[in-house]
Amino acid sequence: MTTATKTTSLEYIKTIGITNNGDNGRGFANPYSIAVSKDGRIYVISRCDPARATAIRVGVQDIDENFLFEFSEGYGSGPGQFVLPVAMAFDSQERLFITDEFNHRVVVYSSEGKFLDQWGEHGSKPGELNGPAGIAIDSNDNVYIADQHSHAISKFTADGRFLLRFGREEDSTPEHNLCQPWGLCTDADDNVLVADWRHNAVKRFSPDGKHLQTLGGLSDTLFNRPSGVALDSEGFVYVTDWGNERLQVFTPSGAHYATERGRATLSKWAEDFFKSNPDEVEVRKISNLTPELPPHLADDPYQVSAQTEPYFWGPVAVTVDDHDRVYVVESNRHRFQIYKRP
Amino acid sequence: MTNHDIELMAHLMRRAGFGATRDEIERYAAQGYDATVDMLMDTSQSDGIQIDLIRRYHPDHSGGLGMAGFGAFWLHRMINSQTPLVEKVALFWHGVFATGYAKLAQGKVLMDQIQMFRDHGFGDLRTLLVELSRDPSMIIWLDNNDNHNGAINENYGRELLELFSMGVGNYTEDDVKEASRAFTGWTVGNTEYMKLKADNDSLWPYGRLNLHFEFRDYDHDQGEITFLGHTGTFNGEDIVDIICDQQATARFIARHMYSFFVADEPPVPSWPYTPPRDAEALDIMSEAYFNGGCTIKPMLDTMFRSDFFKSESVWYEKVKSPAELVAGVLRLTGEHRSYSPAIQEDANAMGLMGQTLVNPPSVEGWHWGDEWIDTGNLVERINFASEHFSKDFTAGIADTVDADITARGGSVQPHELVDTCLDHMGAIRITETSRKSLIEHVARDGDVKLNGGGSGRSRIAEMVQLIGATPEFQKG
Repeated sequence: MTTATKTTSLEYIKTIGITNNGDNGRGFANPYSIAVSKDGRIYVISRCDPARATAIRVGVQDIDENFLFEFSEGYGSGPGQFVLPVAMAFDSQERLFITDEFNHRVVVYSSEGKFLDQWGEHGSKPGELNGPAGIAIDSNDNVYIADQHSHAISKFTADGRFLLRFGREEDSTPEHNLCQPWGLCTDADDNVLVADWRHNAVKRFSPDGKHLQTLGGLSDTLFNRPSGVALDSEGFVYVTDWGNERLQVFTPSGAHYATERGRATLSKWAEDFFKSNPDEVEVRKISNLTPELPPHLADDPYQVSAQTEPYFWGPVAVTVDDHDRVYVVESNRHRFQIYKRP
Repeated sequence: MTNHDIELMAHLMRRAGFGATRDEIERYAAQGYDATVDMLMDTSQSDGIQIDLIRRYHPDHSGGLGMAGFGAFWLHRMINSQTPLVEKVALFWHGVFATGYAKLAQGKVLMDQIQMFRDHGFGDLRTLLVELSRDPSMIIWLDNNDNHNGAINENYGRELLELFSMGVGNYTEDDVKEASRAFTGWTVGNTEYMKLKADNDSLWPYGRLNLHFEFRDYDHDQGEITFLGHTGTFNGEDIVDIICDQQATARFIARHMYSFFVADEPPVPSWPYTPPRDAEALDIMSEAYFNGGCTIKPMLDTMFRSDFFKSESVWYEKVKSPAELVAGVLRLTGEHRSYSPAIQEDANAMGLMGQTLVNPPSVEGWHWGDEWIDTGNLVERINFASEHFSKDFTAGIADTVDADITARGGSVQPHELVDTCLDHMGAIRITETSRKSLIEHVARDGDVKLNGGGSGRSRIAEMVQLIGATPEFQKG
């Protein structure tokens, strides 16, 4: 646990998104991950749920909220299909790797949406996948996967050849092992940061799996089920503190830097919706979307977020682009908010 | 322990839970009936449901955009809860205080209501009814957001008396009006926007916005109110206090409880004209209610330990609701012990049988009893049981029957197969006529041998399927 230094606010940039429970078009249905290509296109995967499974897809847009295109081979376990997609990452060749925790595999698409490859065998032995969640790709195109049900990180080549597994209880000390890890990222030295979900911690490991650093843990209250982790160009650490419905930011040395609860405004797509639904505009004007809640709700971040529109609700992932813009994905609000360190 | 002990325990677990396997029944019978009732009534125990995991894997269980995901979430709890009576009591109150998605267009607020039933469903009725009156989904469902000082809307006040507490014939029209006045100003925050979003079924721009209770003092009728002979400047809590003290309330709740847990009663609208099946039982439960300070738990406790509950005359005298049937089958087959998208399909099956959770047909709720088994629904029910019992599960009922027969040398006669399957499906007692028919069916192909090839296993599955279609299995 690190000592807090000073708390700073992030700069809020904008919100992109709108609920879309249809089969196509702009907007999202329970988005779970963002990856940003080198040319700045923003790829968002809509995980959906069984009741709306046909909407499962990756939508592509830009920072100006222009919807560009979308792709998917659909819902299922066939080639290129998804059932429960979790996370995405680009490799150096701009190929998009997507994990699926139900199909226990990684699916690879081109940045133009062409299905290229898939790999992964279901199982708990080294080299097998058992609920792959987070994914990160280092500067050498090594692929790290949070193998949640094996409570480990598995390292593969880009074509799926197994290299290494670490973080399991039998392989490391109690402080350093993992429990149902979720989000991942790599730093400038190709170390791996892990959102150790059930341990309420973020841990950093060397490329060969040696434990280097821990933020949080079961013995303190820094995090409650952290879902995602990302780094900016200066090494500041961004953590989606899922159970607390917030984003936490730390300096490269691990000191607390900022906490953000969410400040969403209307996206362009949302504004378009209200242009054609003026009746809802009128009643919104007389509504308080950051209401004071009864005590039995006010102490529960989940309940507060459920009825406070600007706040994060279900922050499942965080991504930082080449301009150090921070994207926080909100599964329950079908949008993402963008921030930047001032 | 005697066979009667086993069958009685099976009866208790069907009514106070969603059924049990033979092993579970034996374990409970070994600890004794009263100790098992103690265990079931202990609401301080963890239910073992890992909410964080559910929310991580099922986004709609977290966001509550619609009702389908919630139905699956509740089914998961019914199958896996280590405190099944808590889920059963929540289902009981959901039937009494029926609130529907159709008017709310939001899943989460209904999830919150069901959680409130878990939290307060065993407690004092006053707290439960006050929480119900403040419940945002109930406020929208019965239009209390339109109940204003000087312009009352009687919908909630009427149903509070007619369907939720006392029953027709125990109050006057004036009482309805006066109760409604006491609940003026009880509304939800951002009323206009929330109501419009519900009316428009709007999930834009960013999903649903959950609702919360708001008391508007300026819209509350501060005048003198006369209700059931009491006069004062009453708020809603005072009305609930008066209701809870009524003998009619105790008997009304007791009859609901008897119908849900003991034996089917006719639908509520006919209660004023149809005497209860067991008036003495209602007397006993009403006495427990008052002796316990107008509290639900003593009623349940007294009921489960009573002779009228244990009597064989009420065994299999209740048609399982679709939720009870589906959860019961899946507990036996061992499915959905961990998260799986496939549970959605099984939750949807309840709807095909006539019960979509959190979307009852009206404020009256579902009509229980024989109305669950009209021709179309019965086919769905039998098909569901048959489909799930026919699967070759690794931890399911066919496996335990297989293991039992294997332990006896791997070969059994037809009547032994029938009895073994009935036993493992929850110590089910069927009529001798039904049993004889099943035995004759098995006998056509001779004894059942498990060590001579694959046919033995399929004959077990077939027998389990056939038992799933019997009236005794469809009842509980």
